[in-house]
Amino acid sequence: MTRELSGALDYRTARACHECDLLQQIPDLKNGEIARCQRCGALLKRVHKNSLDRSLAFAITGLILFLVANLFPLISLKALGIAQHGNLISATIALFDADMPFLGMLMLFTTILFPLFSLLGTIYVLLNIRMGRLTPAIAPLFRFLRSTDAWGMLEIFLLALIVAAVKLVDLTEVITGISLYAFILLIITLATLSLTLNPDDVWDHLRKPKS
Amino acid sequence: MMTAREAGLISCHFCHNLNRLPSGQLPSEQDKAELTCYVCGSVIHSRIPQSLSKTWALVIAAMILYIPANVLPIMTVVMWGDGRPDNIMSGVMSLLHADMWPLALIVFLASIVIPIAKLLTLLGLLISVHFRSTWRPRERTQLYRATEFIGRWSMIDIFVIGILVALVQFGNAATVTPGMGALSFAAVVILTMIAAHTFDPRLIWDAIEESPNV
Repeated sequence: MTRELSGALDYRTARACHECDLLQQIPDLKNGEIARCQRCGALLKRVHKNSLDRSLAFAITGLILFLVANLFPLISLKALGIAQHGNLISATIALFDADMPFLGMLMLFTTILFPLFSLLGTIYVLLNIRMGRLTPAIAPLFRFLRSTDAWGMLEIFLLALIVAAVKLVDLTEVITGISLYAFILLIITLATLSLTLNPDDVWDHLRKPKS
Repeated sequence: MMTAREAGLISCHFCHNLNRLPSGQLPSEQDKAELTCYVCGSVIHSRIPQSLSKTWALVIAAMILYIPANVLPIMTVVMWGDGRPDNIMSGVMSLLHADMWPLALIVFLASIVIPIAKLLTLLGLLISVHFRSTWRPRERTQLYRATEFIGRWSMIDIFVIGILVALVQFGNAATVTPGMGALSFAAVVILTMIAAHTFDPRLIWDAIEESPNV
């Protein structure tokens, strides 16, 4: 263990790897560059130009698409003269009706509440930072959004929708609903949002006024 | 090479800013007092408290629930009064018979390979940290990273069941009802996701720093 190294580190810009705890100085990165831990390879920092503005645009787009995706059916079945429509909330309702409240809650949270709250929360945080209003709610709200990030599972729902359609296509007529297109665009928007939004930029704004 | 803990610093789990440990406090005492990050205000720890016992408990619970998840039916398809229970493997086989092998492969990976691989990986990581192994720490960290990233995709089967139950409601002709296997399987996925979250990969590296050979 060499103690001299600590003298060369600037603690405000140094980072400890979140996966192996190694202290290291992060070099100045250019747009699009990433820094990885020199010991375990974890992603330590990335830099995107206008990360917050672009993310705000994607989040607002995502919110509009989310609303449209919920308005009309994603998929419909036709059999024996009966048409059966399914939209995003249908699976949640059906599981509650089938006396599976735990699975119903799981559906409700992973496909409706977390994605919706994540979009609304992201817009709130980014809009306030954009307007220079650092309200006390931003830090705990953004922390909550980061820790529930893995629990919004819309992209998994899309794949499940495809699997379900394939299983049904032999038995009945499967018709894609108009909201399906909005839903596919929503998945693309959410994926882009998570690539663009650099959490470090949000935290940097929270640190500035104090130092 | 020096870790934040050795330097008397704590890295915030959320915003990754470095916090200085209050002076006079030993690194071994830092888990006892509740410290908060000066930038984002979250509670900070040098290592996740009781990481190993929490992860062990969750992994063992998931392993127990994995048995009913595979034995009990995940759903029952009733056509003209004739019920056919499906379990996880028969769902994969029906996709194979429909000549949809790419989808069959995805469901096979998500519902069978990933849950088993995830349980075995977490078990292996727990045992290796318990015995303070110094074997290939970088690869073990990468394994952990993959486990944490991929685990949520196992939820696909639960969603397929939800969609089928919602859509296939044609009275006497055809209905789909969810089974207890689906409930157990969902619990396995949730428990292993939380277990990956409570496991602290920095424990892998602590054994390296404390070993006399380095």
